[in-house]
Amino acid sequence: MSETILVANSGRATGSANSRRLRADDSIPAVVYGLGMEPLSISVDRRDLRKAVSGTSGMNTILDLSVDGTVYPTIIKDVQRHPVRRNVAHVDFIQIDLEADLTVWVPVRLEGEAKDVISGNGLVDLSMNEIEVVTTPRNIPDEIVIDVSEMTMDTTITVGDVPLPAGVTATADADLPVVTVLTMRTPLLDDEDAAAEAAAEAADGEAGDDAGDDTSE
Amino acid sequence: MLMPRKVAHRKHHRGRTRGMTKGGSELHFGEYGIQALEPGWLSARQIEAARVAMTRSIRRGGKVWINIFPDKPVTKKPAETRMGSGKGNPEFWVAVVRPGRVLFELSYPDEELAKTAMNKAIQKLPIKARIITREETI
Repeated sequence: MSETILVANSGRATGSANSRRLRADDSIPAVVYGLGMEPLSISVDRRDLRKAVSGTSGMNTILDLSVDGTVYPTIIKDVQRHPVRRNVAHVDFIQIDLEADLTVWVPVRLEGEAKDVISGNGLVDLSMNEIEVVTTPRNIPDEIVIDVSEMTMDTTITVGDVPLPAGVTATADADLPVVTVLTMRTPLLDDEDAAAEAAAEAADGEAGDDAGDDTSE
Repeated sequence: MLMPRKVAHRKHHRGRTRGMTKGGSELHFGEYGIQALEPGWLSARQIEAARVAMTRSIRRGGKVWINIFPDKPVTKKPAETRMGSGKGNPEFWVAVVRPGRVLFELSYPDEELAKTAMNKAIQKLPIKARIITREETI
């Protein structure tokens, strides 16, 4: 788990118009709260924040937020985005106790090729893109890797089956499925079959066009 | 086609579609999504046409989610009718969409084919839309 220093400016004017001006200046309005402190309205530079969370830990990076000389160990609690432009409109930082347990969402990554599933005309489906875990800040895993190479058509990997590092506990029900196998309705087409079908469709299309021309005349 | 089983009021006012979507602008289920860029009404027929275009295009399986539901009735007066005599009859159902709304989500292993399928679906819609993915930066 990495820790990164992020410098923030305090004393920003609140309100939508002021926040809009801040965003135009390439800053992001933000707030820091938690562990009994008074919520503090701050702003951070967009480029600095992007750099801070571009490491392997991503949004779970522990940020040493420096506000007017005071350093708060924080983590990103929430990110608000513009619905169309998708850029960040506001960030919530929560102050954390580096020794106490904390609940975070960790992304899941699938590894390996499920040969049995592919040969059985199935599809490996990731039901949960992130798993909620409880751990200390320094033990937050960057990602949870699940090996799917041993999966068969009947296998379901549940939260209880997911290998978690020591000191990390999943909050979800152990029976909740994380990776499942979907059975496809359409059989897999090999290249020759696909080419034949495409040719047949093209022929149908031409016949249809001809018929259309006839009726229009 | 999608339509409510029962409704409290058979006929609605048309209303105004101002501003951006209040929610539903993120991907929740699939890897890719179709996001509206304009406000508009999407009829049940258009939603179904887009779904069919997408599912036909992805031949090797995959999963499609429809995030919108046409719950607003649209009325129409019969042709060549004099004005008056009350509001017309409910003819079809629409989903009111504002910019930013994720309309469909798709989970599919091949990104190129998934995007082709979604482009075919977008062509069936009466509004401008784009494809979004989960990868997002600050």
